Amino acid sequence: MAWITEHPPRTVDLDSCVTCGLCLPMCPTFRLTGDETASPRGRLAAITAVADGRLTVDERFDEITSFCLQCRACETACPSMLPYGEVIESARAEAVAQVPHPDQRLRRFALGRALAGPVTMRVATLGAAAMQRIGALEALPVVGGATAGLRPLPVPLPSARGGAWGPRDADRVTLFTGCVADTWFTGIHTATVEVLLAAGYRVEAPEDQTCCGALASHSGFGDDAARMARSNIASLTGDDPIVVNVAGCGAHLKAYGRYGDDGGDLAARTKDVTEIVAEAIESGRLPMMSPAGERVAVQDPCHLEHGQRISREPRILLEAAGYEVVEADPGGLCCGAAGLYQVDHPDTAEELGREKADKVAATGTTLVASANAGCEMQLRRYLDDGYEVLHPVEIYARALRRGGTGPAPSP
Amino acid sequence: MSLTSDLERLLGPGRVRHHPLDVAVFAKDAGVVPGSVLAAVLPETTQEVAAIVRLANRHEVPIVPRGAGTGLAGGAVPTEPGLLVVLTRFTSIEDVDTVGRTAWVGPGVINLDLSRALTGEGLHFAPDPSSQSACTIGGNVGTNAGGPHCLADGTTVAHIYAAELVTPSGDVVVVGGEAPDTPGLDLRAVVVGSEGTLGIVTRVLVRLMQSPPDVATLLIGFPSVESAAATVSDVIASGLIPAALEMMDKRMVAAVENFVHAGYPTDAAAVLLAEVTGPTSTVLADTERIADIAREHGADDVRIATDDDERALLWKGRKSAFGAVAQAAPDYYLHDTVVPRTRLVEVMNQIYEIGDRYGLMMLNVFHAGDGNLHPLVAFDAKEPGMLERVQAAAKEMVKASIEVGGSLSGEHGIGFEKRDLMPLVFSAVDLDAQARVKEAFDPLGLMNPDKVLPSGSRCFDAAGVRL
Repeated sequence: MAWITEHPPRTVDLDSCVTCGLCLPMCPTFRLTGDETASPRGRLAAITAVADGRLTVDERFDEITSFCLQCRACETACPSMLPYGEVIESARAEAVAQVPHPDQRLRRFALGRALAGPVTMRVATLGAAAMQRIGALEALPVVGGATAGLRPLPVPLPSARGGAWGPRDADRVTLFTGCVADTWFTGIHTATVEVLLAAGYRVEAPEDQTCCGALASHSGFGDDAARMARSNIASLTGDDPIVVNVAGCGAHLKAYGRYGDDGGDLAARTKDVTEIVAEAIESGRLPMMSPAGERVAVQDPCHLEHGQRISREPRILLEAAGYEVVEADPGGLCCGAAGLYQVDHPDTAEELGREKADKVAATGTTLVASANAGCEMQLRRYLDDGYEVLHPVEIYARALRRGGTGPAPSP
Repeated sequence: MSLTSDLERLLGPGRVRHHPLDVAVFAKDAGVVPGSVLAAVLPETTQEVAAIVRLANRHEVPIVPRGAGTGLAGGAVPTEPGLLVVLTRFTSIEDVDTVGRTAWVGPGVINLDLSRALTGEGLHFAPDPSSQSACTIGGNVGTNAGGPHCLADGTTVAHIYAAELVTPSGDVVVVGGEAPDTPGLDLRAVVVGSEGTLGIVTRVLVRLMQSPPDVATLLIGFPSVESAAATVSDVIASGLIPAALEMMDKRMVAAVENFVHAGYPTDAAAVLLAEVTGPTSTVLADTERIADIAREHGADDVRIATDDDERALLWKGRKSAFGAVAQAAPDYYLHDTVVPRTRLVEVMNQIYEIGDRYGLMMLNVFHAGDGNLHPLVAFDAKEPGMLERVQAAAKEMVKASIEVGGSLSGEHGIGFEKRDLMPLVFSAVDLDAQARVKEAFDPLGLMNPDKVLPSGSRCFDAAGVRL
């Protein structure tokens, strides 16, 4: 049998490709190789060949589908509006289920279990923090290189989970804390809460929420991703907007409709933090700081620009923070971070990372805004020392703290 | 030694694709019918292409050149087991001469990338097919591609001064030259539009056009297809040559608007997208003139794009039209006939009538300015007998265009899919003459065989008849 998982690529989605090829130039791997098998249309053709029963899932199928960054830039270009991201995730699940991979069990534990467990995350983070302090973290095999772009890990470990801030009678929003975001990118949560409080919201972060499941889903562990999604659906109840400050998580939560009607409800409540803050700025609930002649380069994370079709909002935050916004790479390619992609395809990830870093450097500004944790790490890794890479909400929060006197000089 | 192992020795295994999945992936371009691929290779130099051609000759395997695979006539699809020579890695843009306005570019350069690379110089490459964001210069040369802006600027052949060609025997020659007029037979014009049947183009000297100082784009909604077509005729008759004059029917507008959300009027029976370029004063005057003519013909909705973003969005709608059809059905068959502008309405009505008779869903989007029709049949090829029905209707639609003095293809090429319709336009003598040209370049018949010319085009020779 061609497909063996519970949710294989859907025929109706595969059928909606008319092979026009407009996706090709948007695809980073096609741009690098010129190879149809490394293009969205080519991957869909390979998946269709299996769906039709002409060919089977084999090692080449695994290679073809795993070379995809899952940046979803092709979706923006697709006039038939094919949900490529979901198709490729299902195809990856088939490849993982059918083609043996040496470190499959370790990966499944890491992505499917460890990220979802507060205890495993704390143990891993404490270990990582200790190694980071003695400089051993970057020396780790396979994953070490990617950690070069990490922020300094704080000890003792912070967590926003279980927190509640602001007056009880204010409009409520739910903060999605995420897995690594909760401990590794704690400054983004702090800034998010600060800005939302200033906008007059009450912010609550339910204790029992878990990892969104995006990394597991992208890597072909669909069952684990579904388990995490169901757990979040049970935890994040109510009608309040769910605020997410990692673009990759937000894009995945917005695709929870695949897990049923209650998943669809959660998806409809999900908002990127830049959406909700931009709205508050535009409605006058948050101030516009006066321009101080300083510049910030903005990078568009794929899962914000393509996965959620958000590009205006981060710029609204940055301009309201008093900065002149400089485009780093408009309409550009993925930075190559793409979750665990750099573990499987380090050369491609590095090539894309360096290309992106060069474009950021060419803007001549040392402050860079990125609304996705993975992109942030990738940028920091390939930019020289002396650059500051922050989430737009952190930049806005910092300006807010300085009380509307414009941006502070970069440290 | 097999051809694939010879190729792997030449290029290394990473640039030779022949796994069954690879072969399935490369089996189709943007046309309807899949072909049969032995292997696909990704050369990076002219010398490699020449060596590949010689290897294929030795193994007597047909060769099919391919760019981005956005062609709509099956031109880049081998009809019998063949070798695909993929030219996407030829992406150099060299010797840009901003004074003489030329550049040597690789066939793998994406059309829009070339113009974007020259924005700073105030120059652009004029042919702009709908697929320009994806299609390659090599493919444009192969099909003598057009596009909305070819109304004023002419098709690709008017924008290529010279081409470096690997001949079917594996030699490297240059046709045309840096001087605008080269002595001898104009082989450049023979090669441009030959759809890879005469050799593989590995470099071209392109003509670059100065970008206009000002641009305005009009989006006009009409109460009927007739009134839109009459506007087109009157605009041209008034002496104006707009940079582009494009029409879409109601169904097409609905599909496009659903994708781009550009504010196309979905209640209009037909929509005209017009663009005028030039000095600001000319642009203002021409815009007003076109708007007046449209209003005289009952247009109630005239919108003038005010900034570059709005213009880009309107064009994105037009240029996504073919792909947007997938919202209606998984497959589409696209025509490319050309009719005299004065017969537009008559032929359009005939086309709708043929579609109805065959029970097919028709959408229309076309270069109204030069009478280049793109009626589009949306269908599901998985339905038994459907493809045959679509092809039968296609033939009738082409006949209707040719009967009023039109032509089979304006810009997409003949490829494989429209090859057997060639006798509707050309006599046996015409076809024989074209087949002789092909034979002169490619005596072995291994360079993109079965394309453009129907089998038996050299029938006179076979029958020993001379005219």
